[in-house]
Amino acid sequence: MNNIEISFIEWLGYFQGKIIQELLRHIQIIAISLPFALIVGIPLGFYISSRPKIAQIVIYLSSIMMTIPSLALFGLMVVLLAPFKLGLGIVPAVIAIVLYSMLPIIRNTYIAINQVPEGMIEAAKGMGMTKQQILWRIKLPLSIPVIMAGIRNAMVLGVSVATFASLVAAGGLGYFIFSGIGRSNLRMVLVGAILVSVLGIGVNYFLLLVEDWVTPKGLKVKR
Amino acid sequence: MSTDNNSQENNKIKNKEEQEKSKVKEYTIELKNLTKRFGEKVAVDNLSLNMEKGTLTMLIGPSGCGKTTTMKMINRLIQADEGEIKLNGTSVYDIDPVQLRRTIGYVIQEIGLFPHFTVYDNIATVPRLLKWDENKIKKRVEELLDMVTLDSSYAYRYPLQLSGGERQRVGLARALGADPEVLLMDEPFGAIDPINRLKLHDSFLEIQEEIKKTIVFVTHDINEAIKLGDKIAIIRAGKLVQYDYSAKILYNPANKFVENLLGQDRSLKALTLKKNKDFVSNEGVITVSKDTTEDEVLKLLQKKNQIIAFVLDKNDKLVGRYWLEKAKKDKVEINYDEEPILIEQNNTLNETLSTMFACGEKLLPVVDRRNKFKGIILLDKIFEEFNK
Repeated sequence: MNNIEISFIEWLGYFQGKIIQELLRHIQIIAISLPFALIVGIPLGFYISSRPKIAQIVIYLSSIMMTIPSLALFGLMVVLLAPFKLGLGIVPAVIAIVLYSMLPIIRNTYIAINQVPEGMIEAAKGMGMTKQQILWRIKLPLSIPVIMAGIRNAMVLGVSVATFASLVAAGGLGYFIFSGIGRSNLRMVLVGAILVSVLGIGVNYFLLLVEDWVTPKGLKVKR
Repeated sequence: MSTDNNSQENNKIKNKEEQEKSKVKEYTIELKNLTKRFGEKVAVDNLSLNMEKGTLTMLIGPSGCGKTTTMKMINRLIQADEGEIKLNGTSVYDIDPVQLRRTIGYVIQEIGLFPHFTVYDNIATVPRLLKWDENKIKKRVEELLDMVTLDSSYAYRYPLQLSGGERQRVGLARALGADPEVLLMDEPFGAIDPINRLKLHDSFLEIQEEIKKTIVFVTHDINEAIKLGDKIAIIRAGKLVQYDYSAKILYNPANKFVENLLGQDRSLKALTLKKNKDFVSNEGVITVSKDTTEDEVLKLLQKKNQIIAFVLDKNDKLVGRYWLEKAKKDKVEINYDEEPILIEQNNTLNETLSTMFACGEKLLPVVDRRNKFKGIILLDKIFEEFNK
């Protein structure tokens, strides 16, 4: 199947520059998407946390979003953004990843805030905290672990969704996979797939560290 | 002469009126014709209740009777539909609810502690809301930790690192943070195991004796109500059934419902109204210091013709107990207990009696909440009281 008569190591050396370039590009796409996903998802989760009816609709809509195949979403993006001359490049990729991130981030924020025990909120209210104080001093800090789990979920998903970015000329590790398929080059497909997986694990691990760092100490102590 | 008399008489009446007026003002909490409906259901039905300054009032009744609702209307966590609530003569509806709540201590079951706050930050919650100076807060926290008998090293622990009883102590300290005059307590000891609950009751009573707050305490446990309350308000289906001093309720239940609530063992429960400290004696009690040797103790006991000696450390804390036992051939043996069974001075005779039955002792040492030795109680003394 493979007619290039050089060893895998040699091949890697040859492609090294390109590999690093696309890996960084992949990370870049994720890094640009993350703040947008947070800015939209977390406030929305907070907003719906005390409005169960709206919450149902929002969570339902974001679940539908998840069911759209990634490939179709990118195709849709190209068509919809074409009139603004943004159909190709990083814009459709970032929008797609932000849309896919919505469900885990909104849902986890919603759940996180609603799992803060009623008694604790009542204690805070009974001691004379205002609604704002209860939100910032009690609900938010106690929600961090669950919200962070949602963000991790979303971003690991984003790493794999970003593979399609190369189809809309945004680059990224998808280049190796799709070019590899086109050229029947197993090495390229393998390198792409493995790097996407490793990046996914890396992102997950990195966000776990962030999670540990931002979680209030009182929630982590051993009995 | 007669006019003089008249004016004196008038003055007397005036004085009396004034006294009466000031008496009216003495009520710290006044509830007047309170009604609260949840949809169709009437939770609280035209309820009136006055609480004097410094008294501990227990609200008791079956679940869903409206006792918690009544309490929560005082700090406006629940809005009353009809009626008046006055705190020191001022209607609570004239006070901003957030400000109002900062002046009222509030204790709920242990879940109310903020897990991401240290013990220090939990206790400092209300003082910080009131923007106290941080030095003043620090002093206050230390003072409160000492009051609830927690070591100052607890200040930087988190609630998850505490036992249930310790958490409850912190909860009480937190409610007392800004030294409120009124304290609302919603089944604060509900989630604590029975043994620790008794201990908490004792220290709670001792603390209340020091601080003399006006406390509204919701419970569904009649024993707790009798033991802790100065007065008991019995509520059924949103209506006040009986409101009186605990003893009066025990001896004169208003109706069958109250009788049933009190249970068959009313006379035994009356022992609950008697505190150990009123029956402590020091007659013939032998105490020795920690460094006394066994031989010295034995000699001392034989000389005084006693069989028990209590060992105290330099702070008068009870740390052990020697007791003599007749061994074979009239030889006497001396034994030592490192953790002698003891009772707290604020415990009730009722509990002391059951402790005595449980361990088979006719004589038990009494300590205060800091474990300081106070004297002993004899079983005979309790029987004397019971037969009265």
